[in-house]
Amino acid sequence: MAQAQTKAHPEPKQYVQIALLLAVLTGVEVALYYIEQGGVSSSIVYPTLIILAALKFVIVVAFYMHVRYEKSLIARFFTVGFFGALMLYTVVLGTFGVLASLGGQ
Amino acid sequence: MSDIAHDEQVHETTGIETRKLAMWIFLSSEFMFFGALISNYLLFKGRPGFPEPYPSEVFDIPFTSVSSFVLLMSSLTMVLADHALHKDDQRSTRTWLVATALLGMVFLAGQVFEFAGFVTEEVPMKLSTNPAASAFFTLTGFHGMHVLVGVIMLLTLVGVSFRKGKLSTATGLNLESVALYWHFVDIIWIVIFTIVYLIK
Repeated sequence: MAQAQTKAHPEPKQYVQIALLLAVLTGVEVALYYIEQGGVSSSIVYPTLIILAALKFVIVVAFYMHVRYEKSLIARFFTVGFFGALMLYTVVLGTFGVLASLGGQ
Repeated sequence: MSDIAHDEQVHETTGIETRKLAMWIFLSSEFMFFGALISNYLLFKGRPGFPEPYPSEVFDIPFTSVSSFVLLMSSLTMVLADHALHKDDQRSTRTWLVATALLGMVFLAGQVFEFAGFVTEEVPMKLSTNPAASAFFTLTGFHGMHVLVGVIMLLTLVGVSFRKGKLSTATGLNLESVALYWHFVDIIWIVIFTIVYLIK
């Protein structure tokens, strides 16, 4: 029988540090929203917002959902579901021309 | 499998605990569900020719930012509950579980308040106002329902811990599944907050 091969999980102090990082990233996102309102090109702000959201997403998945510390098979399950959906809906939205507007005007 | 306790069944091929594996597969499939709802919103959000207001005209970004912060912090309390159980610290486990449920309830209350504000505006945005509003309420409403289910599961775990006197390592795996679900709800909100609220 296969045995679970997992690494040691972080300690509470590290979890708090991760939460602080997530809070800061959220603050930066909100600041960028107002910067865009102030006249900065959305073609700069929107991709940055998507990168920041992706970063927060990866941090939560890796550290809070422990994907970084679990067997690689779990990461594969997660990746297949995520990228499968991402590819499908990218094609759908691309077909309808929605993605061009996400890239900023 | 005879040497393995009933509550700790490990999948023969993968070596991953069965319930945990099931939760990961379920969450993987949830990407399709929320992907459809987010795509639906993106398709309709800027489509002209319908009565106003559109969702982006009525958003209260400072308020939603606070809600997002609350949900992010609930992920911290959830992971601390998980950590406390692995250390067999029952008191801390209960405390963090209750804190997570409370933060979830604050998020839900915020969503109800937000929706109430939209429908009571001078020019209200209701479910039937335009396709973008319908898509917005459907997406955020379904996310809210997921949060509600998470809160119910958290409170159930707290109830079980009091009824049985403690959460064992066997039920600890149940807590781990609930924690995975809760963090998933959080990452979906990370996407919604950016795509729906911050990008016009």
